[in-house]
Amino acid sequence: MDLPALLTTSLWAIAGETSPLVVETVWSLLGEDWQFVFRNADYLLGGVVITIVLTVVSILLGFALGFPAGAIETYGDGYLRSAVRNVGILLRGTPILVIMIYMYFVMPIEYLLGPINAAFGGLDVLLGPTPFAAPDGIGTAFFAATLALGLRSAAYQSQIFRGALSSIDDGQMEAARSIGMSRFEAIRHVVVPQALRRSVPGFQNEFTIVLKDTSIAFAIGLGELLKRSDDLFVQQTTAVLEVFLFASLLYFILTFGTNRTLDYVEQYFAIPGESS
Amino acid sequence: MTQGNRFVDRRNYMKLAGAASIAGLAGCLEGDDENGEEADGENTIVAGTAPGFPPFEMVEDGELVGFDIDLLEAVVDETEYELAEWEQLEFDSLIPALDNGNIDVIAAAMTISEERQEQIAFSDPYYSSDQSILVQTGGDFQPESLDDFEGQTVGAQSGTTGETVVRDDLIEAGIIDEGDYTSFDNYVLAVEDLESGLIDAVVLDEPVAETFEAERDVEVAFVYETGEEYGFGIRQEDEDLQAALSDGVAAVEESSEYEEITSTWFGE
Repeated sequence: MDLPALLTTSLWAIAGETSPLVVETVWSLLGEDWQFVFRNADYLLGGVVITIVLTVVSILLGFALGFPAGAIETYGDGYLRSAVRNVGILLRGTPILVIMIYMYFVMPIEYLLGPINAAFGGLDVLLGPTPFAAPDGIGTAFFAATLALGLRSAAYQSQIFRGALSSIDDGQMEAARSIGMSRFEAIRHVVVPQALRRSVPGFQNEFTIVLKDTSIAFAIGLGELLKRSDDLFVQQTTAVLEVFLFASLLYFILTFGTNRTLDYVEQYFAIPGESS
Repeated sequence: MTQGNRFVDRRNYMKLAGAASIAGLAGCLEGDDENGEEADGENTIVAGTAPGFPPFEMVEDGELVGFDIDLLEAVVDETEYELAEWEQLEFDSLIPALDNGNIDVIAAAMTISEERQEQIAFSDPYYSSDQSILVQTGGDFQPESLDDFEGQTVGAQSGTTGETVVRDDLIEAGIIDEGDYTSFDNYVLAVEDLESGLIDAVVLDEPVAETFEAERDVEVAFVYETGEEYGFGIRQEDEDLQAALSDGVAAVEESSEYEEITSTWFGE
């Protein structure tokens, strides 16, 4: 864990500069269990990094599938529409734990994972001279968790976007058509930009839900924040309260930060003249 | 605030955010020990284990360590295979994960039993053990054989041989009721309940019981001989891997490595 290790060492460096005596006093006041938690803070922060990456990738996958699905449910017709709708109903009606266990233990996902890891290898070669590097291979548990959270999120996001798309007044469509736009152009240039702005509050909710549901990847042994908290309390069982208070604090910081950021995004992109 | 006054305009902001998130993503995944080496070669294998079973496998300060971990790594070094990464699962989940190809070998102090051999294959045995009965140090309950268990509460980890002993030799034999048995996800939690008096005894593998005896307020009441042996679990069709691991076990046992690993983890 490069990033968390860096974070903790720099935190210690700052603390060390203030005064060694102060640090020592605080340290002894904490008690053994809190000391244990802080000694392992970089291990938990490593879990936070995995939690964040898992959330971001799942949300992006959810958006990539959910937005078109929402559009198809609003504007499409025939078999495509009913297929999308039924898959959505199935995914929304299944508990996330069941989907996750299905992805990890039942789906032969290694056939999908092989080509993806090969693609990352190719990307790494392309990125060779740049300071960026592609991830060197994705673990099976991480991939299964991403698929489960991403597909479930796509099913919910499709409903968020369906709602936002249908909330745009029919007059907008009529106006766009009357100036010579095709139906697709009208959706693309007039309805979608407005609908995306209106969908931010619903999307904000979905983002927080996915963030918290990453903890269910615990069931398939992915070392995210909750799994790592569990590892720690199995190691020192007297520190259950301390470990989980600390983990809860980390989850709170993540959700609070996400919500504040999306509040800002909502204000920034608000439709001028429309109270949001 | 008008558009012109913004410190970073929208277009630049998007560029920055995009670059930052790609850099972040790449950085995080790159340093991630979970993702180990790329699992592309035919000879790369993924190992699975269930931590919380000291000294065979446990997580200490964030590191997966233990006898099985060191031994499998030494054994794989003797073969033409390469160990790509370790997956950490619940003990119960190891066999399903092996079946589905998520892992290629189980190294989790798994006893070779006829029941398990119907589903998976094993390498040659690398360790033998019996079951110990663990009780509170100086507690009221000091059994000398399984017949002393009447009316007592017992705990074990689900899916283990300890649980089989409780089910077959205590519950089936009519010594205790079904309701007197508590199944735990993890032996650490079982020992925790034993220490706080919620259960009267825990049935578990002898070396693990000795580790708990040394570290916690519990003691071994007696040893129940089962003569079981641990092997690395493999899919039944992976005959090449099975032969390679068995040869590897033999090679490591012949060299001084086996003794080194044993003395590291059992202090023998």
